[in-house]
Amino acid sequence: MVLRRLLRKRWVLGVVFGLSLIYFLTSTLKQEERTIRDRTLLQARDPEHRIAWKVRFSLGNSSRQITQCRNSIQGQALLTDELGYVCERKDLLVNGCCNVNAPSSRQYMCKSCLLNGCCSVYEHCVSCCLQPDKQLLLERFLNRAAEGFQNLFTAVEDHFELCLAKCRTSSQSVQHENTYRNPQAKYCYGESPPELLPI
Amino acid sequence: MALVTLWISILVVLLCGGPSLVGTESGDANSSASPTAAGLHCQNCPQLTLKVDFSTSIIEHEYIVVFNGYFTARARSHFIASALRSSTALDWHIVPRDNPASDYPSDFEVVQIRQAARESLLSLQDHPYIKRVTPQRKVFRSLNFFDDSPCNDTRWTQKWQSSRPLRRTSLSLGSGFWHATGRHSSRRLLRAIPRHVAQILQADVLWQMGHTGSGVKVAVFDTGLSEKHPHFKNVKERTNWTNEKTLDDGLGHGTFVAGVIASMRECQGFAPDSELHIFRVFTNNQVSYTSWFLDAFNYAILKKMDVLNLSIGGPDFMDHPFVDKVWELTANRVIMVSAIGNDGPLYGTLNNPADQMDVIGVGGIDFEDNIARFSSRGMTTWELPGGYGRLKPDIVTYGSGVRGSGMKEGCRSLSGTSVASPVVAGAVTLLASTVLNRELVNPASMKQALIASARRLPGVNMFEQGHGKLDLLRAYQVLNSYQPQASLSPSYIDLSECPYMWPYCSQPIYYGGMPTIVNVTILNGMGVTGRIVDKPIWQPYLPQNGDHIDVAVSYSPILWPWAGYLAISISVAKKAASWEGIAQGHVMVTVASPAENDSQVGGELTSTVKLPVKVKIVPTPPRSKRVLWDQYHNLRYPPGYFPRDNLRMKNDPLDWNGDHIHTNFRDMYQHLRSMGYFVEVLGSPITCFDASQYGTLLMVDSEEEYFPEEIIKLRRDVENGLSVIVFSDWYNTSVMRKVKFYDENTRQWWMPDTGGANVPALNDLVSVWGMAFSDGLYEGDFTMADHDMYYASGCSIALFPDDGIVIAQTLKDQGLEVLKQETAVVDNVPILGLYQTPSEGGGRIALYGDSNCIDDSHRQKDCFWLLDALLQFTAYGMTPPSLSHSKNRMAPPTSTERPLPERLEGNHLYRYSKVLEAYLGDPKPRPLPACPHLSWAKPQPLNETAPSNLWKHQKLLSVDTDKVTLPNMRAYRPQVRPLSPGESGAWDIPGGIMPGRYNQDVGQTIPVFAFLGAMVVLAFFVVQLTKVRSKPKRRKPRVKRPLFLQQSPQTHTGRTPTV
Repeated sequence: MVLRRLLRKRWVLGVVFGLSLIYFLTSTLKQEERTIRDRTLLQARDPEHRIAWKVRFSLGNSSRQITQCRNSIQGQALLTDELGYVCERKDLLVNGCCNVNAPSSRQYMCKSCLLNGCCSVYEHCVSCCLQPDKQLLLERFLNRAAEGFQNLFTAVEDHFELCLAKCRTSSQSVQHENTYRNPQAKYCYGESPPELLPI
Repeated sequence: MALVTLWISILVVLLCGGPSLVGTESGDANSSASPTAAGLHCQNCPQLTLKVDFSTSIIEHEYIVVFNGYFTARARSHFIASALRSSTALDWHIVPRDNPASDYPSDFEVVQIRQAARESLLSLQDHPYIKRVTPQRKVFRSLNFFDDSPCNDTRWTQKWQSSRPLRRTSLSLGSGFWHATGRHSSRRLLRAIPRHVAQILQADVLWQMGHTGSGVKVAVFDTGLSEKHPHFKNVKERTNWTNEKTLDDGLGHGTFVAGVIASMRECQGFAPDSELHIFRVFTNNQVSYTSWFLDAFNYAILKKMDVLNLSIGGPDFMDHPFVDKVWELTANRVIMVSAIGNDGPLYGTLNNPADQMDVIGVGGIDFEDNIARFSSRGMTTWELPGGYGRLKPDIVTYGSGVRGSGMKEGCRSLSGTSVASPVVAGAVTLLASTVLNRELVNPASMKQALIASARRLPGVNMFEQGHGKLDLLRAYQVLNSYQPQASLSPSYIDLSECPYMWPYCSQPIYYGGMPTIVNVTILNGMGVTGRIVDKPIWQPYLPQNGDHIDVAVSYSPILWPWAGYLAISISVAKKAASWEGIAQGHVMVTVASPAENDSQVGGELTSTVKLPVKVKIVPTPPRSKRVLWDQYHNLRYPPGYFPRDNLRMKNDPLDWNGDHIHTNFRDMYQHLRSMGYFVEVLGSPITCFDASQYGTLLMVDSEEEYFPEEIIKLRRDVENGLSVIVFSDWYNTSVMRKVKFYDENTRQWWMPDTGGANVPALNDLVSVWGMAFSDGLYEGDFTMADHDMYYASGCSIALFPDDGIVIAQTLKDQGLEVLKQETAVVDNVPILGLYQTPSEGGGRIALYGDSNCIDDSHRQKDCFWLLDALLQFTAYGMTPPSLSHSKNRMAPPTSTERPLPERLEGNHLYRYSKVLEAYLGDPKPRPLPACPHLSWAKPQPLNETAPSNLWKHQKLLSVDTDKVTLPNMRAYRPQVRPLSPGESGAWDIPGGIMPGRYNQDVGQTIPVFAFLGAMVVLAFFVVQLTKVRSKPKRRKPRVKRPLFLQQSPQTHTGRTPTV
C-alpha cells in the first residue's frame, strides 16, 4: 500500500524517469566512445574483459625427447626451433630442429633484444621469449591483452606458438599507420610496444 | 513542471556537451573563430555547403602542464607534486583523463588549481621536467548547412578534406562507366554472357577428376560474409578486424569475392570444397587501416592459410610495416593473390601489394580478351630513378562482367580487378588441391606454374598483360609435373620484339646511349630463401654478333622470400658505334637454396637458368636527335604529400605515377619517338652525363632540389651547346598551406612538401641566365599558334633576358580563386620563353610554366605540337614563326612585380629527397654522390647459334606437360545470348572510397538517434503531465486522497532544483 502510494508520487516517477534517461544516455554515449576507442583497437584495455587464453607453457625441460620440431619457417638466414635454439638455415636438421652441435647454434638467444623486450631480429625475439623465465611476463600480457588481440591469442596453443605470434610486428608496432614506431627494434616479446622514435 | 524543465535542461547540457568533448580532443587550441568551409557535393555541382565554426574559450582554474618528454602517469603526478610543494597551493588536483592513451606515457597533464594559481604556475614552470604551462581551453565547434546555389564549379576547400583517397581501396568498379569495355554499343548487347567464369576456364574438367579444392585453406580479406549465405558450405571461420561490430558483409564485395572462389551453387566458384576463412578488414564505408591488416595477417599466419586473396590495393609501397608483413606472410608459405588496381589505362598505376615480387598480381580482361580499360599497368616505380621497373601484372584473367554471389542470395555481375583476383585465387586453390605432394606447392612454384602456362594475348605489351591470360588446365599440367627450380620473369629479353616488349622495342640501342636496363624477377621454387651462386655469366653468341654488346648484371644478394631481382644493363660496345644489326647472347644464372628434406646437413638444391638476350643496334644518332629526360629530379611516389600538377583534379590529390617516360609521360615519349627523336633517361645527377652527346635536356615537373655542382655543370654544358627545356608547374606557399588536409589513415596533417613542381629549386638552376618563374598560379583556355591550349595550374615567367622571345596569354588567377574564391582575369601572363645563349655555339633554353599538357594523368588538351616547336628551337635553332611573330609576343619581364617563390617554411622535402639532408636549422645539400658505375660482365663467348624463337622455348625446365593427361578435354564454347533489357551488366558499389566519412556514420548517427529517442520519450511525458495539470477534475474521482496528492508536488517542487 505504501509502495503503491509512493509510486503515484510525481517526484518518484520523475526520479525513475530521470535515472533511466541517464542510464540510456550514458550507455549510448559510452557506445560512441567505444567506437572511437576501437579505432585504436589495441591501445584499448577493458579491465573487466579478459581473453580466455589456453596456452600450455613448456617447462623448458631440455631433457624432453623431441623427434620432430616446429620452427619459425620464415627466416632469411636464421631459424628458431621450438626448443629455443637459433641456428642458421644450413644447420637445420631434417626433423626441423636446429643442430645443437653447430657452432653458431644458441639456445635462448637475446642478443639483439633491448631491455624493454624488443629485438631487432625476429628469430632472437622468439628464442628469447621461449626462455622459461619469460613465462610470467607472457601470462601477465595475456591477462591484460587487448580485445583486438583476442582472435589471435585465444587461438594460440602453446608457448612456442605464443612466442611466434607475440614477436611479429602488429598494430602496436606502428605510428601513423605506415611507419614503425622503432624500425630498429620492432619485434617485441614484452608487454610494451616498441619505443616511439620521432620520424 | 519545474521538474520537466530541469530534465530538459540536463538533457540539453548532456547533448551539447558530448560534441564539444570530442572537439577538445582534437582541437589545436591555437585558433579562435577561424571558420573553414567544407562542401558536401553532388558530383561536380555543390548544392549544400557545410560551415564549421570553431571557437575556443579558457577554462578557469585548469591548466595544461607540458613535460619535456613522455612519462608515466605516476611520474607525472610526482613531478607536479614536487613542483607545487614549494608553493602555497593547497587545493589542486590532476584532472583525470580516462581514455585509451592514459595507459601509456604522455607528455602533458591537466591540473586544476583553485587557490593561489599565480605562484603555483610559476613554481610549476620552474620544475626542470616541465616545459610549459598553458591554460586549458574549451573548443566549440558548430556545423551548419546552407544552400549554395548558384552552381559555381570550383570549390577548393572540400577536396582536400577527404583524406588520401588513393590509399588502400577495394578494387571493384561501379556500374555504367566500365560496363562498356567494347567500343561499339551494338556489340555490347551481343556480348558473351558467361554462365560461370569457372566453366569458361574449364574448371569442370578438374571437378570431374574429383578435385574441388578440399583440404586447402583460403583466406578472404575483404568486407566479410553473412553467416547463412546459401552459396557456401565450408565457411570455417569468420573474424572481424575492423571497428564495426559485425561479421557480415554490408557491401557485397566480400560475398562476391568469396563466391568466385568457393560458391557451390548458382554462379559456381572454383573450389567449393575449400576451407573458407573470412577476414573482415574493410568496413562498410570502405575504410581500413594498416594496423588492422597487420593483426589479421598475423592470425592468417598462425592459422596456416594456404591461399590468401586480397582484392584490395593502394599506391603506398612505402608503407614498410605493410610491405614487410606481406613478405612475412609469403615466407610462411601463404600464396598471396592480389588485384593490380583499377587505375588504368594510365601507366604507372600499379597497386601494392600486387606489385610485389612474391605476390601474384592479377590484371583484368573482358570476355573478348581485351585488356580491361580499368586494369592498372606500367612498370613498378619502386626502382626509380636509378633503375627500371619490374614486369607486372604477372597474369591477367576475366575481370569484366563476371558473375558471382550476391550479398544475400542469387548472383550479380561485377567488374574490376578485384574480380579478377579471386578468379586466380580460386584457380590457385583448385590447383593446390590437385597436387598430391603438397610440399611442392609454395608461393613461388604456384606463380611459376601460372606464368609458364599462361597464354599470351596478341598485340598487347608485357606491362599490360604480364605473361598472358590464365590457362587453368595447362597450369594443372605444369604444376603436376613440377620439380623445384628457379625461373625468370620475363623469361627472355628480346628488345626487338614488338609490341610485347614495349617500350624496349620502341627504340633501338646505340653506342654512347644510357644503358638499357631490364629488371628481371627470379622466382625460386626451391625454398623461401636462396642465393645466386658465384656470378651470373654473360655468354654472347659469336655468329649472332653477341660481342657487339656489353652486359652488366646486378642481383639481390639474398633471394627472399621466394624471389629476387636480376637487373640486366645492356650497352653497345664501341666497335659497333656505326654498326646496324641484331646481337644475341644469354645470361646464365645458378640459384641455390638450402635443401630442407635432405638427410645430410648443409645440402643444397641448385638450379641453372638461361636468359636469352636479343637486341637491335643502330648507329649512334646525331646529337640534335637525342633528348635526355631528367628522371633524377622527379620524385616517385613518396610517403610525403606532393600535390597534383592540376589543382582541379580533386579526387586524386597525389602525384604518384613516377613521372617517367614509360609511365605517365608515355604519350609524350611515343610522340617524340614518332618525330624521330631518341629519348634516354638520366637516372643520376646532372653531373653524371656527357652533355656533348645530347641536343636537349628535358626537365619536366621536377620536385627535387639540385646539388650546387649540378648547377655549375649545367651552366657549362649550356655554354658548350646543350639546350634545356623546362616544363615547370605551380608553387605558391599560400596555396600550399591551403591545400593541406587531415589524413584519416595516418591520423596527421598533410602539408605539401612542394607545389606542383619545386619552382624555387628550378629558379636556382635557371637564375644564371637571368630567368625565373613566379609564384603566380594561373589557369585557363587560350589559343596559341592556332592550337587550342589549356593551362592547368601553372606558374608564369617572372624574369627573362631582354633578347629572348616571350609569349604571354590572358589567364585566370587561380591562386586568388583557391584562396579567396574570387575570379580574376589577368592579361599578359608570360608563360613561354625562348632564349639563345650569347656564347659561341651556346645552347638554347626554353621555359614553359605548366607541365600538365604533356602529362598523361588528367590531361585535357595535349601540347605535343609545342614540344615539337620547342625541340625544333633547342635542337636546330629554328624559331617557329608562329611563335616569334605571334601577336601575343611581349617584351620579356625584367623586374619582378611579384616576389619570386620562397621555399615553404617547415616543409619536409628533405625526408624524401636524394639531395637534401636534415641539418640543424635548414636542410643542406648532401655531398654529391658518386656517379653509378657499371662493371661489365666478362663475356664468355659461345660459338653457337641462338634458338630461333625465344619465347616459345620452355619457361620451366624439366616440366613434361604431356605426361599429365586430362580426361575428356572438350572445347568449351561460351554461350552467347543478348542482354535482356532489365539486366544490368555491372553492379554498384555505392560511393567512392571516402575514409573520412566513417566518422560521421559511426560517431554521429548514434547520438542523433539517441537524441531523437530521448526527445520522443520526453515529449510523451510532457504531454502526459500537462494533461494531468489541465484536467484536475478528472483525477478527483479516481484518487482517494486528493488533498495529499495536490499538496505533495508543491512540497517537493521547492526542493528538486537543488538535487
